[in-house]
Amino acid sequence: MYGFEALTFNIHAGYLEAIVRGHRAGLLTAADYNNLCQCETLDDIKMHLSATEYGSYLQNEPSPLHTTTIVEKCTLKLVDDYKHMLCQATEPLSTFLEYITYGHMIDNVVLIVTGTLHERDVQELLEKCHPLGMFDSIATLAVAQNMRELYRLVLVDTPLAPYFSECITSEDLDDMNIEIMRNTLYKAYLEDFYRFCQKLGGATAEIMSDLLSFEADRRAVNITINSIGTELTRDDRKKLYSNFGLFYPYGHEELAVCEDIDQVRGVMEKYPPYQSIFSKLSYGESQMLDKAFYEEEVKRLCLAFEQQFHYGVFFAYMRLREQEIRNLMWISECVAQNQKSRVHDSVVFIF
Amino acid sequence: MSGQSQRLNVVPTVTMLGAMKARLVGATRGHALLKKKSDALTVQFRQILKKIVSTKESMGEIMKTSSFALTEVKYVAGDSIKHSVLENVKNASLKVRSKQENIAGVKLPKFEYFTEGETKNDLTGLARGGQQVQQCRAAYVKAIEVLVELASLQTSFLTLDEAIKTTNRRVNALENVVKPRLENTIIYIKAELDELEREDFFRLKKIQGYKKRAIEKQVASAKQFAEEQSAEKVSLQQGISISSAHNLLSAAAHKDEDIIF
Repeated sequence: MYGFEALTFNIHAGYLEAIVRGHRAGLLTAADYNNLCQCETLDDIKMHLSATEYGSYLQNEPSPLHTTTIVEKCTLKLVDDYKHMLCQATEPLSTFLEYITYGHMIDNVVLIVTGTLHERDVQELLEKCHPLGMFDSIATLAVAQNMRELYRLVLVDTPLAPYFSECITSEDLDDMNIEIMRNTLYKAYLEDFYRFCQKLGGATAEIMSDLLSFEADRRAVNITINSIGTELTRDDRKKLYSNFGLFYPYGHEELAVCEDIDQVRGVMEKYPPYQSIFSKLSYGESQMLDKAFYEEEVKRLCLAFEQQFHYGVFFAYMRLREQEIRNLMWISECVAQNQKSRVHDSVVFIF
Repeated sequence: MSGQSQRLNVVPTVTMLGAMKARLVGATRGHALLKKKSDALTVQFRQILKKIVSTKESMGEIMKTSSFALTEVKYVAGDSIKHSVLENVKNASLKVRSKQENIAGVKLPKFEYFTEGETKNDLTGLARGGQQVQQCRAAYVKAIEVLVELASLQTSFLTLDEAIKTTNRRVNALENVVKPRLENTIIYIKAELDELEREDFFRLKKIQGYKKRAIEKQVASAKQFAEEQSAEKVSLQQGISISSAHNLLSAAAHKDEDIIF
């Protein structure tokens, strides 16, 4: 319901929205990124970061700093922020916040399933999982001896159960390529999230549906481009596209039959919002496509903060933080590998 | 090692001399052949050294590029992509085979890599990062190529080094120890033989001398006897045997008791 949110939103979610906006003010700015890009060593980076919100997390690290440590600690900060918000949230905000992390949960579950299939050690697998996607019963997944048990366990213990039952039966788990399984799950998750947001209504529904449609479309384009020349059939490809977004349904038809990048470009240019993305690329080149997508996403995420009284700000904040951590990882790796000339290739400035 | 080479302890006979000469000829030929082998190996060695230097330089470049490709993958597809790739692997799809190559008689090992089995990871990063993953894969395959080549070059380098050292050791041994020893032995044998010959000769001469003197003595005594005989004959003709006359006189010199006067 438009307009009446201003009356009641602050009762339940006012505090958390304020927190999120405070966090957003702590995101690194272009000036910070410029400083970081000028660093010569990882210790310089650590010094610069100590002036930002990451300071307390990095200051206890011993001196031969490694890029993975930087990324780990920054992710830790993100997890702390998230957990703080989650504890304070009430329904339906708490469900919304949980939905944000289902993507990582899917990655973790798929990782453990693959690892168990190939008989790897459970503890190692658990260490490699993303912290945002951990849930209590994740350790039980690794106990499974074969695929049948795994399916049973997954159905029972995880919050991802409905996605599994919708799209995969137990036989499929054996043969199906891991990537296809991951993408099928992710598709189900996106659609579920979309429905949930629609149910919430109001500004949340509007803003989130815009953001989620962009995500779905971007995934569709990526799947198309990455499956050109592989053994993925057109029907399989179509099954991986979500059933919402700008491309649904006609764009999907066209994308499913594309065989090379220029055809994909042709399809995308029919949709005005995406024309600007492809205009940045020259013909035949697809390396910069991912960066162009990230830039577009960041633009839309920042726009979400312009409105008040909706849950989209939480989603936007999480995604922006992830982008910032990606930027930090890129800068640290460039500095560590002595490739400073390539730094500006992939850093996406948020402000 | 003694400063001057010794000689072998052999019985200095003519057959031995023949045997030693044959050995010397063998040693000389062996020395020439080994020297040629050493030269050929050294040429190969230098070539391999040049190739190693250039390969190492390119390896530095290539490793840098491939790590950077990995960073790009991590950027686009998230940090956890390397875990999902690692967990999805059962066997290596790129393997290395070794075979032997024969260079100037030295067996050098050579490595080559081959792909075995289809990799199931074609669809990695389907939703995002797929392109970067494939590029990173190509970069690392190239890196492996260079590394395998570098490995075979370095092993051949080491093996050749060993071989050259051994060959040179043999050449030097032949040149400085075996041949002088054989030569000395031959000289010794010849010397001994000469000495034996000289001894023989000397002995011969001495015996000749003895014989000559013996003959002379015989001749002298024969002459004397002949003279005496002729004298006897002459005296007999005159009625007295000189010898008996002599005997009478001499007997008269002895006092016979029976004789009064």
